[in-house]
Amino acid sequence: MRLWLTVLAFSLPLCAQLAPPVASYDIRASLDPRSHTIAGEQTLAWVNSSPDTVPALQFHLYMNAFRNSRSTFFRESGGQLRGDRASGDGWGWIQVDSMRLDDGTDLTPRIRCISPDDGNPDDCTVIEVPLPAPVKPGAALRVLMRFTTKLPKVFARTGYHGDFHLAGQWFPKIGVWETKGFRYAEKSGWNCHQFHANSEFYANYGDYRVELTVPSRFAVGATGEMVRRTDDARRGTSTYLFVQPSVTDFAWTAQPGFLRVERMFEAQKQTTAEELAAVARLHGIRAGDARLSDVKMIALIQPEHAEQTDRHFHALTAALKHFGLWYGRYPHRTITVVDPPYGAGGAGGMEYPTFITAGTSYRLPGDVFTLEMVTVHEFGHQFWMQLVASNEFEESWLDEGFNTYSTGKIMDKVYGGTSLPLTVFGRNVWSWLRLPKLTQASMDRAAHVGYPVRDPLATRAWEFYDGSSYSISSYSRASLALRTLERLLGEDAMARIMRTYHQRWRFRHPHSRDFQQVVNEISGRNMDWFFSQFVFGSRKLDYAVSEIRNRRIGTPVGVFDSGGRKETLTAEEGRRRDREREKRGEKPQYESWVKIERLGDAAAPQEIEIRFRDGRVERREWNGEGRWIKFAFSRAAEIESATVDPQRKYALDVNFANNSRKADYNAALGAQWMLRVLFWAQNAMLWMTALV
Amino acid sequence: MLPWIAWWSGLGRAWRRKRMLALYWCFHTLCALAAALPLMAIAVPQLGRSRLGDELMRQFDLAWLAEIYAAAGAALPAAATAGAAASAILLAGAVYLAAGAVPVLARDEPAYSQEIFWRNAGKHFWPYLRLSLYSMAAYGAAFAATALLQRGAEAVWGEGLEARPLVMTGYARLALLILLSGLISTAMDFAKVRLALSGSRQSLRACFGSLLLVWRNLGVVFGLWACFAATGALLAYVYVELAARLEAGGAALFALLVLLQQAYVLARIGLRFAAWGAAAELDPILRPLPEPQPAPAPAPAEDYQI
Repeated sequence: MRLWLTVLAFSLPLCAQLAPPVASYDIRASLDPRSHTIAGEQTLAWVNSSPDTVPALQFHLYMNAFRNSRSTFFRESGGQLRGDRASGDGWGWIQVDSMRLDDGTDLTPRIRCISPDDGNPDDCTVIEVPLPAPVKPGAALRVLMRFTTKLPKVFARTGYHGDFHLAGQWFPKIGVWETKGFRYAEKSGWNCHQFHANSEFYANYGDYRVELTVPSRFAVGATGEMVRRTDDARRGTSTYLFVQPSVTDFAWTAQPGFLRVERMFEAQKQTTAEELAAVARLHGIRAGDARLSDVKMIALIQPEHAEQTDRHFHALTAALKHFGLWYGRYPHRTITVVDPPYGAGGAGGMEYPTFITAGTSYRLPGDVFTLEMVTVHEFGHQFWMQLVASNEFEESWLDEGFNTYSTGKIMDKVYGGTSLPLTVFGRNVWSWLRLPKLTQASMDRAAHVGYPVRDPLATRAWEFYDGSSYSISSYSRASLALRTLERLLGEDAMARIMRTYHQRWRFRHPHSRDFQQVVNEISGRNMDWFFSQFVFGSRKLDYAVSEIRNRRIGTPVGVFDSGGRKETLTAEEGRRRDREREKRGEKPQYESWVKIERLGDAAAPQEIEIRFRDGRVERREWNGEGRWIKFAFSRAAEIESATVDPQRKYALDVNFANNSRKADYNAALGAQWMLRVLFWAQNAMLWMTALV
Repeated sequence: MLPWIAWWSGLGRAWRRKRMLALYWCFHTLCALAAALPLMAIAVPQLGRSRLGDELMRQFDLAWLAEIYAAAGAALPAAATAGAAASAILLAGAVYLAAGAVPVLARDEPAYSQEIFWRNAGKHFWPYLRLSLYSMAAYGAAFAATALLQRGAEAVWGEGLEARPLVMTGYARLALLILLSGLISTAMDFAKVRLALSGSRQSLRACFGSLLLVWRNLGVVFGLWACFAATGALLAYVYVELAARLEAGGAALFALLVLLQQAYVLARIGLRFAAWGAAAELDPILRPLPEPQPAPAPAPAEDYQI
């Protein structure tokens, strides 16, 4: 009852937008910072919202991924993830000490580990508990559990380092019961995947009420809003109560050294009437519906990064504003950004509901926007993962790809390109050397082009060819696919698609096909060919201008029939007639053609731009399906150049250089490039020979 | 004042050897061409044909490098092997040229001919090559010593929650490495001069002798190195600032940029010469030759008694 009253009080102002709770938790947990252990007890209130009768429950016990080197997570990751490596002695685990129903039925003896994805008998990141009586459609169930969680030493997302603790995926969490047809499921059953190296999120919405007890010297941050702090002077502990309705997870952090800074995102100050009117116009909504909400921004910063505090808030403000204007307002009251300390980088760059972790470093140069990029990206997951809760295990591109696309748009709009950290004594020489700033699109393309297309975007996270294929497909290639759609359909249409998709699936669990449906519906075009090749297929897109030919049409020579007689026109006579024509000022005629080739296995409609030497420009269209096509012209000017996809709509094209071709080789340009490379080679050699 | 005087004198000696400078420039340019041509053989035809070439000239795009890698990445291991072989040839060539150049700069005689240069190169090549190998050991020791510093810092602060001590140690390590490398490089300049002037072939002795000389005259040698380091930094600064202004221009400004780039390369070679010249200037001051021993008095003639 306490749970429902508290949550009700906090959710009333927002209840119009919130999701009906399916899995709600009332948790009490205390941290022992010496053993890095959490002792917890929780009451899960689960509602069978399906028309099925559910015979058993399945729970995630993610922390068992760190129990030993035989877990599926360890086997897949090899003990290293995102550049961080397991130290070898910082194992973590979770143990369900007891489980019973609220009628007192003890379920503990029924608990058994299962491995639905790979059958690994040594993995215990999912448990199944057969119920004494199945749960009928619409019925609710309350499960009381006591558990102990030993945090691992941080190397992948969660754990401790020194007295820093980040508790993510730390409590027994129920899976998602999917009825047949839900997210295109072929049959009803639990969707409860093991903890894999590259994915972790998929859960029902619920309301959370969590009491955390930690030593009083620790500063604490968590999902949701802190509503109460109670100090126990005798024990030297403090208990914090956090409440958050309509989220899919709960994470928290505790460390004595955090600098806690709070600022408000004041929606009225951050948005102008013109901006709101523009959004309303574009989406056909009232200006009032485009309005954003005030949000309390909380930053928990490492003291040695104190001078970067403003940068976090600036990035958060930009993200709250643009994500809100583009996709709909952020509905929660708080957003907490946690800055992990040195040595806990593995916990950085993570997303949990209303709670994200940053990624930065000591004395990060001001023109290197990696801090901002991480903060905006992780905040973006509030929209693509949390508010639209797609299944990251099975379709990681729906959150990472959508979020990379959105992050890139904000970064390019607010910050422009970024420098890379090429620092000497803390000074960044990248900018001083005037090296080019890198945009998100450029970095995405570099990753996409540099790695072969091996998997469809919609691939289950653990079934990608390798870790690189997972990350490039889920992030960069997916972002480029969305950029391609944007260019094909137009910016306004894409903006409407993204907002419609977000609004339609907010607080729900979409599938890639649901997005496809929105694209077709809003654009009014059938884009199935795009999805079948680039989302559900792994086609490579590469079109090239392979040949340009210009041939002057002279006076025809040879033997001709003329009035029943054969008349011979010699080559000499032909040349003479050509000269006479030139003297009369007649322009010579040319027979020209350009050949376009499809080098990849993807076929997409193409536009071809042909420029002639007299300045005229011709455009042609090709459905792109054959292996090649020839466009022939006969006119008084030669072809100067030809370009396939001149507006670069296909960001997925793996080679832009071959998209255009000039009839004449530009020797001057070639020489300029050569001289540049020569200079850098000379310098490199001078450095090498300086030591001998 | 001594480092300053030596620096100035070194610059003067370098300035007087313009033909030698041209030879060095040719050598480095040919080697650079050998390295750059295969790279550009892949890229330039494409850029010369594609409209992307013009775009990249205005705003370079990282993704293009990935396109080149995707197109020709398979050739990378072969190119790396060829590059390693070319580097070995380059280093041997650099030693050979140094063996020709240092004696000319050390003696600073007005007479100079190609014949003198090549004769010196042939004469001193092997001692200089050995000296280069010994110097690698010295550089390696400097690197190891500074790495030890970093390791120590990691042992103390590595498990901590702050990067600051490690970052600061990193700065200190880099500064120390630059300083030690500079001093070793200057010591090797002295050793080359010593070998050139004495005509000795004892590279190891020259190496240790020069390291000892640097150790005993740390202030002067450091001052000399600082003068050259500052000159190099100034040159780089001037180049980068000017180049940035010329980059955005048309064909005429690009021609100026190319001239500026080659002037910068020549200036860097000139600085190398000047460093050898300065070492030659300082060598007799820091390492006075022993006073010539008076010739022993002729022994009185002995009476021979038969």
